[in-house]
Amino acid sequence: MSASLSSAGPTGPLGHIYRTTEQVRAELGTAPVSLDATRDPAVYKQEQDKIFRKTWLKVATGWEIPNPGDWKVKEIAVAGASVIIVRGKDGVVRAFHNVCTHRGNKVIPSTGFETHGRARANVLTCRFHGWVFSTDGPLKSVPMKDAFGELDTACLGLRPIACDMWEGFVFINFDPAPAQSLADFLGDFGRLFAGYPYHESTTAFRYSTVLESNWKVALYAFSEGYHVPTIHAGSLPGFSGVEHTDFKLMGPHASSTIYGGGMDTAPSTLAFAKILHGADAHCPHPEQLPADINATRRSDFQFELPTIFPNFIIHLASGCGYPGLSFFTHQFWPLDHGRTLWEGTNYFRPAQNAAEDVAQRHVNALHRNAWLEDTATMEDTFTGIMSGVIDEMQLMDNEFMIRHAAQALDTMLSA
Amino acid sequence: MPDAIAPLPAAFAQLQGFTERWALPTENQRSAVRWTTSKDEFATFHESVMPHLDAIMTALADKPIPPADPALRSLYLLACAFAEAAPHHDLYNGSAKVPFSFDAHRFEAAHGDVAY
Repeated sequence: MSASLSSAGPTGPLGHIYRTTEQVRAELGTAPVSLDATRDPAVYKQEQDKIFRKTWLKVATGWEIPNPGDWKVKEIAVAGASVIIVRGKDGVVRAFHNVCTHRGNKVIPSTGFETHGRARANVLTCRFHGWVFSTDGPLKSVPMKDAFGELDTACLGLRPIACDMWEGFVFINFDPAPAQSLADFLGDFGRLFAGYPYHESTTAFRYSTVLESNWKVALYAFSEGYHVPTIHAGSLPGFSGVEHTDFKLMGPHASSTIYGGGMDTAPSTLAFAKILHGADAHCPHPEQLPADINATRRSDFQFELPTIFPNFIIHLASGCGYPGLSFFTHQFWPLDHGRTLWEGTNYFRPAQNAAEDVAQRHVNALHRNAWLEDTATMEDTFTGIMSGVIDEMQLMDNEFMIRHAAQALDTMLSA
Repeated sequence: MPDAIAPLPAAFAQLQGFTERWALPTENQRSAVRWTTSKDEFATFHESVMPHLDAIMTALADKPIPPADPALRSLYLLACAFAEAAPHHDLYNGSAKVPFSFDAHRFEAAHGDVAY
């Protein structure tokens, strides 16, 4: 694997985000990085208050809730919140605390970390006493209202959470008055990744698990390509010519590109790939990539590898890596200092027939198996860190996004 | 959705013996079978289906998901199982567990109980 750039990259509106290896070393340093932030439970409390309750967090996609009245409840332990994300009658996606303003019951009972449903007649009704809220927030009716003596229903709507969308991804911010708009927060990252038709890839294979690990261990494990030849020797045999390059820094976010010559493909995979590569919806579409991702349109492009502060990753492939795979995402939700909910989702354009569906299931299985290899390291790594035997991470060039994320977290915590 | 698995189309009758074990309507059910499959069973399944894979894909190429025809639905479910099982023969030397991996039982598939 190599990591080099003879020049910083393309010029143009986003030319300033590119970095050579030498520039990354100069800007971020090369010294070992302390593990205190991962090991110390007190840092987790600071992360809750200064990061997860203050910054924009991706919580849904618009195509999960495509119709008015569609809702999703997401349990977000790191903020101590249950959140309703709902598309109103006007088509606008909003977020509310899943808390009835009567006595605090959950308006929508939830199961697990995510629950989906659809509001009847665009109202949400608390099952405890039947208080009825419009999907855009206001309290619409209260059973036996006259028996309350006085009740200012105008002030008792669902408690809103700042909510905005970028390219079909729904973000929320628990800060009642966010310091930045979502657009300003994403900044150059939002511009770099804008324009890809994410919303067309509505077929989602989503996996999750609870890891006995600090969330940053999981984030960092998915933030570099250094591990590919070793961890993925089973699921990606003979993967050749891996090049991790096109380094980009964008405020608290960073990105890079994985190129590669492919792997020793099994005959079964070749047969399934033939189905997907023969369909316009699923074949490689390098021309759909945003202009500054694989800017030179190299034919060995595999996927773009970013980290989006603080806990989200979009690996954009446009069908160029795994056959038919449009993009895939990872998200890392702290449940406690030493427990993390990992969510990984493979996104495809909808299969048009049963053969395409079967082929997508094969690709999904291959990639899920690679994730099983990835996640195998995380609990062991955290156990090792907590043992106190080492105090620092040694990071090479391809691990620059770990160094960058650690510095971005330190900056936020010290603000 | 019908629960009974209809006989495969006549052109694939030689694969009928695999349907009872493998032609299951959900990913979670198919995963449960994969996790208890031996190296020899993966090999037999793979070596029996692989010569017909292109024909199976052709038969499913213009069909809805899942196919309305009961026989083609059985073929579709068998193909789904093969799609998910093939890597264990091709890549993992017949191991039901992905080598050096996380416990697959701990992965929860949001779509895992959706039946076709």
